[in-house]
Amino acid sequence: MEGNRMRLDPTELTEDEQALREEVRAFLAARLPAGSYPLGLGMGGGVDPQFSLDLGAKGWLGMALPKEYGGGGRSAVDRLVVVEELLAVGAPVGYHWVADRQSGPNIAANGTAEQKRSFLPRIARGELCFAIGMSEPDSGSDLASVRAKATPAGRGWVINGRKIWTTAAYVATHILGLFRTSGDRYGGLTQFIVDPASDGLTVSRIPFIDGTQEFCEVAFEDVFVPDSMRLGAVGAGWGQNTAELALERGGADRWMSLMPVLEHWAANISGRVPGWAQADLGSITARCWAFHGMSLAIARMVDEGLSPAIEAALAKEMATRFEQECIEIVTRHYGRAPQLTSPDPQESLLARAILTGPSWTIRGGTTEILRNIIAKGLTQA
Amino acid sequence: MNQNPELTGLVDEFFRETFGPDVITAVELDGPSAALWNATGELGLPLVGIAEENGGSGGTLGELLTVLQGAGQWAVPLPLAETSLAAWLLASCGAQVPAGPMTVIPDASGLRLGGDRLTGGARAVPWLRGASRVVAVVDGCVAAVDPAALDVTPGADLAGLPSDLVTASGVPAETYAADVSADDVLLRGALLRSAQIAGAITGAYEVTRSYIKERVQFGRPIAAFQSVQMHLVELAQAATLTTLCVERAGRAAAIGTASLEIAATKSVANRHAGLAVRAAHQAHGAIGMTREYRLQHLTRRLHTWRGEFGDETSLNLRLGAAVARSGGIIAAATSVASTVGV
Repeated sequence: MEGNRMRLDPTELTEDEQALREEVRAFLAARLPAGSYPLGLGMGGGVDPQFSLDLGAKGWLGMALPKEYGGGGRSAVDRLVVVEELLAVGAPVGYHWVADRQSGPNIAANGTAEQKRSFLPRIARGELCFAIGMSEPDSGSDLASVRAKATPAGRGWVINGRKIWTTAAYVATHILGLFRTSGDRYGGLTQFIVDPASDGLTVSRIPFIDGTQEFCEVAFEDVFVPDSMRLGAVGAGWGQNTAELALERGGADRWMSLMPVLEHWAANISGRVPGWAQADLGSITARCWAFHGMSLAIARMVDEGLSPAIEAALAKEMATRFEQECIEIVTRHYGRAPQLTSPDPQESLLARAILTGPSWTIRGGTTEILRNIIAKGLTQA
Repeated sequence: MNQNPELTGLVDEFFRETFGPDVITAVELDGPSAALWNATGELGLPLVGIAEENGGSGGTLGELLTVLQGAGQWAVPLPLAETSLAAWLLASCGAQVPAGPMTVIPDASGLRLGGDRLTGGARAVPWLRGASRVVAVVDGCVAAVDPAALDVTPGADLAGLPSDLVTASGVPAETYAADVSADDVLLRGALLRSAQIAGAITGAYEVTRSYIKERVQFGRPIAAFQSVQMHLVELAQAATLTTLCVERAGRAAAIGTASLEIAATKSVANRHAGLAVRAAHQAHGAIGMTREYRLQHLTRRLHTWRGEFGDETSLNLRLGAAVARSGGIIAAATSVASTVGV
């Protein structure tokens, strides 16, 4: 922000960054031949621990984490380049996604030396799967109203309550959650890293609208968490959580969810309504070019030590609406309702996008919440 | 980093102080003003981005885009983009650039050269009245003629600015062998118009932001209402993303043809122009619909500019054809500046 006006500085990839893109592109072409993996929709890609390990071995996870803790010591732009290539082919990123995008950077920023030593190298190797414990049955957009409670007990804390809409909790090695440690609305929140195998912790799967089972509810009944698994100071959870959400928002995953569908459509535009489809494809291409520039500008700001939270909210709000519009466009050109059960993976993927697309403007902050954040930034200065 | 904050500041201050709403309206009613042109010319602004050896002010393409963004934001009623295009065409042939306002013929496909004589017609020629030269790419040549020699049917664009129907019947022309094509004119024009659009959207954002903080209804400034704030958010998004696209396309155009970058930028700018007009008017209510209020200077220009040097459909068809032919969306969207042509 400059005064009351938002500004994103233009930036392009350096030669090294371009070389990285070529390297990732070539690796993925060999590692993920067409038909060898379930096509994913952006961050909703398949869960494939071996694929995550392979990416870790290439040094493409935890890229911006500090080297002394096993990270790549590289940049947010490098990470963006890798992520764009992964999402372009609908790669199975589900196992490492949350750890790589937000839990790792959160631990690097707020963790103790021991926590960093323990978690960051394993995140960078692709060994860990983090789930996000934020929402609760009665706390969604009003996140500061969370009630799941952590009470001091001996050398740790006892947690009681429920977390919901927790993607991949059933397979997660860790849940990084926001819990209430006092009655103070914002100052009474603290983040903890919880082992899902803890006594008293139950993960139940919630069938998602497309019939998949990645969504979970997590119940905590007197779950003991050692104090060494508290992330950051007691009462610092709200600020950490807000920073984490900002990391969640400005990236390529907010405009690329439909990419495998779009690429397939672009490559197969038939003669049925060529002009109309061609113009739609052109409009989509123009906007992808624009959003790529936006993600790149935001990543460059992060690398310069800035925290472009409002910019990221602005980007996510418009990019996720664009993603949904793309579903609408491709569906209009499809000519019939695609079936989820189709043996054609592209048809099935489009069907999945149609069903799950509405969640894209909900997860990570709804359109309405984001607009409020942006408007506050614009009018209060 | 903003490449030249000094120029940005100078342009903003000069345009803001010189081109108040009354001045803009007067030009619309009375026609082009030589005094306003001269004041702007004294600062060298019309020929920024044209080399000094050709008679220009020097400076980069990025600096030219800065001037035009400022001109868009303050609805400057001068043919700055048109003069710049004409000067660029003349300079590209090694010709000396004359002083004074000039213009170009955006679509010269209806014109022919017979020797040094120009014949045919063209529509929607902006700012012909008062121009010292009108320049066009015709039959592989750059041709410059004296507007006084043309038959002109006066017209006006949606902003009330001159946009004429022109007929030439064997009019004498200075002709130069051209390195530039009609498509180069379209692309350069699209980039300059996009800069003006980015500026005008930014202007509409600023006007709307001030208005909703001042206007009181139901006992509160209307900026307190979330449903009104949403319009400001949409304007901020359109302004930020359009400006970013213009600056990226400008960098690409400084090193190559940048056909992908410019076509994408103008497509996005056109789209955002439409969204911004709607959002700004909706936030303003009835006052914004009057000629007495400043917003219309911006929104009427946005309506005009989105249709010039590439409308959304023609640009999207062009982009779509190129992507369907080869490469794919991501290869184009993440390509390095000026390496993918459309």
